[in-house]
Amino acid sequence: MSSLNASLAIALSGLTAEQGALEATTNNVANVNTPGYSRQVPNLVSSDPVVIDPLTLGTGVTLLSIDSVRDPILESSIQQETQTQGQLGAQVSALQQTQVNFTASTSDIGTAIANFFNSINQLSANPADLSVRQGLLTAAGNLAASFNTAANNLTQQQTNLDQNVVQTVGQINQLSQQIAQLNGQISRLQSTGESAGSFVDQRQQAIDKLSSLVNVSVIPSDNSLTLTTANGTPLVMGTQSFQLQTQPNAAGLHEVYAQGVDITSQITSGSLGGTLEVRDQQIPGIQSQLDTLAAGLANSVNTVQTGGYDLKGNLGANLFNPPPAGGTGAAASLSVALTDPALIAASSDGTAGSSGNAEAMYALSTQSGINGQTPTDYYSGIVFNVGNDVSNATAEQTASTQALQQLNDQRASVSGVSLDQEAANMVQYQNAYAASAQVVSAINTMMYDVLQMTTLNG
Amino acid sequence: MRVNPNPLPDLLAALQQTQQQINTDLAQISSGQSVIVPSDDPGAAAELVQNAAQASAADQFLRSIGSVQGEVANADSTLSSVTTALQQAISLGVEAANGTLNASDRAAIATEVQGIQTQLVSLANLSYQGSYVFAGTATQTAPYVVDPTSPSGVTYVGNSNTNRITLGNHYTLQTNLPGSQLFSAAGSDMFQSIQDLLTGLQTGTGIAAAVGEVTSAANYIDAQRVFYGNASNQLTAQQNYLNSDTTALAQQQNTLGGADLSAAITNLTSEETAHQATLEAVAGANQPNLFSYIK
Repeated sequence: MSSLNASLAIALSGLTAEQGALEATTNNVANVNTPGYSRQVPNLVSSDPVVIDPLTLGTGVTLLSIDSVRDPILESSIQQETQTQGQLGAQVSALQQTQVNFTASTSDIGTAIANFFNSINQLSANPADLSVRQGLLTAAGNLAASFNTAANNLTQQQTNLDQNVVQTVGQINQLSQQIAQLNGQISRLQSTGESAGSFVDQRQQAIDKLSSLVNVSVIPSDNSLTLTTANGTPLVMGTQSFQLQTQPNAAGLHEVYAQGVDITSQITSGSLGGTLEVRDQQIPGIQSQLDTLAAGLANSVNTVQTGGYDLKGNLGANLFNPPPAGGTGAAASLSVALTDPALIAASSDGTAGSSGNAEAMYALSTQSGINGQTPTDYYSGIVFNVGNDVSNATAEQTASTQALQQLNDQRASVSGVSLDQEAANMVQYQNAYAASAQVVSAINTMMYDVLQMTTLNG
Repeated sequence: MRVNPNPLPDLLAALQQTQQQINTDLAQISSGQSVIVPSDDPGAAAELVQNAAQASAADQFLRSIGSVQGEVANADSTLSSVTTALQQAISLGVEAANGTLNASDRAAIATEVQGIQTQLVSLANLSYQGSYVFAGTATQTAPYVVDPTSPSGVTYVGNSNTNRITLGNHYTLQTNLPGSQLFSAAGSDMFQSIQDLLTGLQTGTGIAAAVGEVTSAANYIDAQRVFYGNASNQLTAQQNYLNSDTTALAQQQNTLGGADLSAAITNLTSEETAHQATLEAVAGANQPNLFSYIK
């Protein structure tokens, strides 16, 4: 046996459900441009039927929940790619600054080496000429200056990258705190069975941001999630966040610590990973090659110089101040020891007209004295390495950007708000609402008819 | 199938990409270089470093050849004057050896030979740009000092060392002959022969023998002069080689790092077209949606 009241209740459930569904659509339309927003869909289910023998009667519709549409696997791929993207981005922009030091110019190291040896050849043609000798001293000074400039620029860049490390760690700490807070809000809502869609969206966005800074792994658990970095060091566990610390090492560069453990070498991706790689691997690598070249040149020139005779017939003294033993810091500290051009040892027999020792010095330009290479070959090797690093990282960055773009497209195709779809939904919910309203109106008429009936009888 | 409802980010990325390529092309066209930073082409950048070093060295070799050439030409013409002076001494000696001359005639000839001796000392002390050319490597002092106590009338204060200079890749050239080898060689000592001629003229004996000595000294110096002739030829040959090498290096530099202008301009045109098309696509992305049609 059914009743008009039951029908009215069913019509009302329709009105409420369609209104709720329309709210989801409205919210979607409002958030059409919100970054990280996942579209919401109403979860409409038919209400439990009642059985009144012999009939099974429907009891209307229930708006069970409003769910956000997202694909967790896609989101985890996006995190991975964002980490790579962050690492390569930091690396490319740092290395592009580095390679400026090795770009051909009138004062780059390659030109300075060539000019230095040219001045020696000129001396060979005019061994007793003081102005030619002065020219050689100037060329030696320029050579030292070009090494100094490149080495100091690299050190300065390393210091700037170090400041980036400290700032990035600060951002990481802020984000992990934010994620821990969101975890709390999400688990509170979800434990009472409510939808936490927009908080989950915000958390996902924060995780994406964190992924662009450092390598993170996401371990979801009931109503919450754990974030770890670098070999399982926790950043966020539920509502608790763990701060990373920075501490300067012996060289004055900051190492990253998690709960007292140095995890610097385990941070491999995200912009922090990229910055650390350039700061700790690539720049020191280039610095040590420059040091090898500067120390090798200075030592070999000094050896020849001290084996010959100056303009006054005395044994030659060092042309360059001797580089530090082992060569570390040689490029930054390379400097000319002589100020008197007469002290250049061009002579091999003690007479002013001999150019034998200048010739021996010039021969260094074609001798394989720097790690088995001539000075110019060794320098061109450095240029190749630096250029190759930038070019490889740039190519990888392009590939990663495209991959990330595709993943984001995919995410948008799943979670993005389509205005066409929302318009269609709106029409659909509106029509259904209107229909339910018509039903209410019809029931109203029927109720009236029933009431009229009783009035007639009474 | 559901598609990405918002194509704008992709279009913006595409715009950035075409803009980046346009910038690269413009940089190539305006600089004329395809390798502006090492990462543009690391291999070419490394080769360009070597190319620049070689070109710079070739320029220097050409300058050094210029300095050496002056000295070699001077030495050569001076040696020619020396042989001329010696020929003159020989004719004077031959004239004096004729038995018809008396002592006063011979004294007059002796005076002339003395003049030649002085001239020879001056020639052997040739100085070029502040350096004495025939002094070995002791170029700061005149190598021949008049010394009446010496049997040859002069003392050689230079040394017997020579200089070499690098004038090409693994190519070195000896640039000088010391006076000890040219004028004071044992058996062909020019000053000794002139001194012997003078003594002969003064004493009236042994003139013919002295003339023989002078003749052999003159022949010897003529033979030595070939050194400077050869050096001069080699310098010219090396100069020609370096000039063509410089051209070849410049060509190589252009091949390695020069921008292919026509290609760059063609690229630029097609990328500008692509850029414009993308811009139109961005403008077109603002299409009406279903909401616009719901009345």
